[in-house]
Amino acid sequence: MRALEELTEVSENLENKYVSDWRNQGKKVVGYVCSYLPEEILYAADILPYRITGKGVKDTSQADSYLTRVNCTFSRCCLELGFSGGFDFLDGAVFINGCDHIRRAYDNWKAHQSALPFMYLLPVPHLINPEGRQWYLEEVVKFKEAIEAYFEVEVIDEKLSEAAAVYNETRRLFKKLYDLRAKDEPPLSGTEVVSILSAAAAMPKKEFNQILSELIEETEASSSKATGKVRLLVAGSLMDDPEFLRNVEDLGAVVVADALCFGAKNFWDLTDESGDVLEALVDRYYNHVPCPRMAGEYSRRFDFVKEQAERAHVDGVILEHIKFCDTHGADNALLKKDFEAAGIPAIELERQYGPLADAGRLRTRAQAFLERIRR
Amino acid sequence: MIVAGCDVGSLTAEAVVMDNGNILGSEIIRVRPKPEQSARDVMEKLLEKLDLVYDDINYCVSTGYGRETISFADSNLSEISCHGRGAHWLDPSVRTVIDVGGQDCKAIKVDGDGLLEDFVMNDKCAAGTGRSLELMSEALGVDVSQLGPLSLDSSEVITITNQCSIFAEMEIMHYLCEDRNIADIAAGINDAMARRVKLLVGKVGIKDRIGITGGVSKNIGVVKNLEQMLGKEFVEFQEDPQIIGALGAAVFAAERVKDLPQRQASR
Repeated sequence: MRALEELTEVSENLENKYVSDWRNQGKKVVGYVCSYLPEEILYAADILPYRITGKGVKDTSQADSYLTRVNCTFSRCCLELGFSGGFDFLDGAVFINGCDHIRRAYDNWKAHQSALPFMYLLPVPHLINPEGRQWYLEEVVKFKEAIEAYFEVEVIDEKLSEAAAVYNETRRLFKKLYDLRAKDEPPLSGTEVVSILSAAAAMPKKEFNQILSELIEETEASSSKATGKVRLLVAGSLMDDPEFLRNVEDLGAVVVADALCFGAKNFWDLTDESGDVLEALVDRYYNHVPCPRMAGEYSRRFDFVKEQAERAHVDGVILEHIKFCDTHGADNALLKKDFEAAGIPAIELERQYGPLADAGRLRTRAQAFLERIRR
Repeated sequence: MIVAGCDVGSLTAEAVVMDNGNILGSEIIRVRPKPEQSARDVMEKLLEKLDLVYDDINYCVSTGYGRETISFADSNLSEISCHGRGAHWLDPSVRTVIDVGGQDCKAIKVDGDGLLEDFVMNDKCAAGTGRSLELMSEALGVDVSQLGPLSLDSSEVITITNQCSIFAEMEIMHYLCEDRNIADIAAGINDAMARRVKLLVGKVGIKDRIGITGGVSKNIGVVKNLEQMLGKEFVEFQEDPQIIGALGAAVFAAERVKDLPQRQASR
């Protein structure tokens, strides 16, 4: 499994070798948060989009001085990395008003001496309707112009179309990978898939696509299959760190599907490659499987999670949220009720992101959930 | 066939030994710093009382926070399954079990066989746990075991509004400075506790009948308040409700030992 090892290594290093290679060619790298940023715009400008993470943070004392007790540990860890120079290899950062926690991480980073030379906040409407779509289009155009002005580049349609094609290829490959996971004998653990997803967000997509294709070939040929385990889907707050799932899978489960914003929610919808490319990108990002930060879209989200659960014929659903993540926390309560009503056991798990990991308590709940399924 | 269950929690450890469907005995101790030591101490104390040795135990299931580290156990199960099973074994009409332990609080639903159907467990917060009762009774200057009886003498329940245990403790200090009646404050503590537990029970929903287990079930004030809030009467267990996790583990052990014929023969 050479390709898997390669991607795991990429996911374990903030400034991985693809980022270094990119920079050594004199090219720029821009960090971003959230799945509502049309990355293709950066890619078309020959800038590497790099999804900001809080992985590997051991202590958040600097961020703690700026944030309140009720800010989530993900935004806390991201801010700590920003403050302590962990993202010094980035030429800029683009944030989204995805939720108040990450927005506050942006405010505090921007005001701090460690702020990157280019800091940008892309506002995304909370309602999905024609007016909101127009507003989002205007904001995306403004963002494109800001990139062009600051980095002295021109984002032409031809380049955008190329980027859209490359990104669609990534999404198609991921669907293929998820088809393999959905099989009776899943060839990959959920822990491994989190590493793959995390690598995808931290390296150029063209190179990633090549390795992912190899990985799919290797996986199809491989004989190591997880059997006799409880099949689970995981949905909820952002997850780019494999430790949480490792803890669950160690107890005799295998995660075979997800509805995460680093996972299926992020690649399920394709960009229409036939018409005006910028309009198509705006449509794709504005209408993709909605995050709970979007108002009034619960039924679409539930339908999506249920579709994923059914196609992978799971035995149970884990609905996790990072402590203080109000958007996912409240959504999970509804999802739990609706999954139980649909006859699929579900559990809500509150967790911490990063160094404050609360392994023992999670283990007890996860073990009891598996005991419930196996009874 | 002698089997055992051992429950190592955050504050206390319990052991139960059963023989062919009868409880031979049980023991409770305060935990030591290491779960393995707690497990050995409580089990040895019980074995000595029953005039048995480790080798007499055909199968042992461990449970509780320290369940994975206990070397003499043959397998482990979550305390959630064990509390449900233990309560149902004592009273087969039980379908909902409220367990308020030292550091956590859970509401457990079981099926007609006493097996786990659904559950909720409090999130990482001490409010609504035995530990917070201890903190509040310390602030009040009474032993935690007195909190229940004391609250029965109250004439006016003082409302403790803070959910956080630390802030609730400060609130109690404030009432003490105001020279308020201690029984009224104790009633307020029990009322606050019951409200926290009710919140959790509401999440999983209630199926009759209900049993309450864990250390806090020994507090008559909390139990009465909770019964009133839920509009239900709890079943009365014939055993100390604090040992029910260990009892459930022993019931599981009795079942699991049947799957190990070769092991039985060797004993």
